[in-house]
Amino acid sequence: MAFPTLTPTGREFTPGNFPSKTFNSQSGAEVRILYGSQRVNATLNLSYSNVSDASVELFLTDYAAQLGTFHTFILPSDVFTGWSGSASALDAPPGAKWRYAAEPQIRAVRPGISSVTVSLRAVA
Amino acid sequence: MAKVYTGRDGVLQLSGATLAKVVNFSLQANLETLETTTLGDSLRSYSPGVLGYSGSASLLYYKDDDNSINTANILNKLVKTGTAGVSSSDTVELTLRWEDGVDKNDIKLTAYITSATIGAATGEISRADIAFTGTGALSTVSIS
Repeated sequence: MAFPTLTPTGREFTPGNFPSKTFNSQSGAEVRILYGSQRVNATLNLSYSNVSDASVELFLTDYAAQLGTFHTFILPSDVFTGWSGSASALDAPPGAKWRYAAEPQIRAVRPGISSVTVSLRAVA
Repeated sequence: MAKVYTGRDGVLQLSGATLAKVVNFSLQANLETLETTTLGDSLRSYSPGVLGYSGSASLLYYKDDDNSINTANILNKLVKTGTAGVSSSDTVELTLRWEDGVDKNDIKLTAYITSATIGAATGEISRADIAFTGTGALSTVSIS
């Protein structure tokens, strides 16, 4: 099972930050130590509004196939539809993949129609 | 024969009985639309949602020769004593009709009265303004 190839109706992306630690002395001096060369904790929140229940079920099936938040995967290009910049800029950092950050949230709209939101986190 | 309908052809019935002194009535059908536009689309798209009906009417506050008030069975759905408020049985059966002799074009619905306004003003005829919201399907539509 792969992540559903549906175009979202909404998308929120945060690129994450480079892992570093900051130390402050009493004089006010600041020392920062960089612990990695890749961004970490990038997040992607996807919303699919007013889609068929069958489409929503695809997310539940994939969530189960990925053992919830356990496995990592790559996302289909449909997820990034509408983004005209370079594909890599809006994706997980090089060498990283996505995993579910939480359970998909499903809201019933009317019989046969639901909305679902999916939260993802990039991990190496 | 061709005909243009006017206010003279309009009839508002409550449970099959024609209400007297109706000044106007209207019915609005509202379809909720669910937006299905996705990222990358340039034009909005929709799926049909839930269909509903609502309307309004104005009646002169009128007492007939038999002392019956024409608005009684409408206003008493909202304007009443007691602490029970409005229950699910407080619906009205309304028929909105456009007549052309024996040819009757009807819309029948079950509705809740959602607002009722009545007052008195110097130099004016007292009238009751009501608004209603349909519940369930229309039972008759013969306007087309």
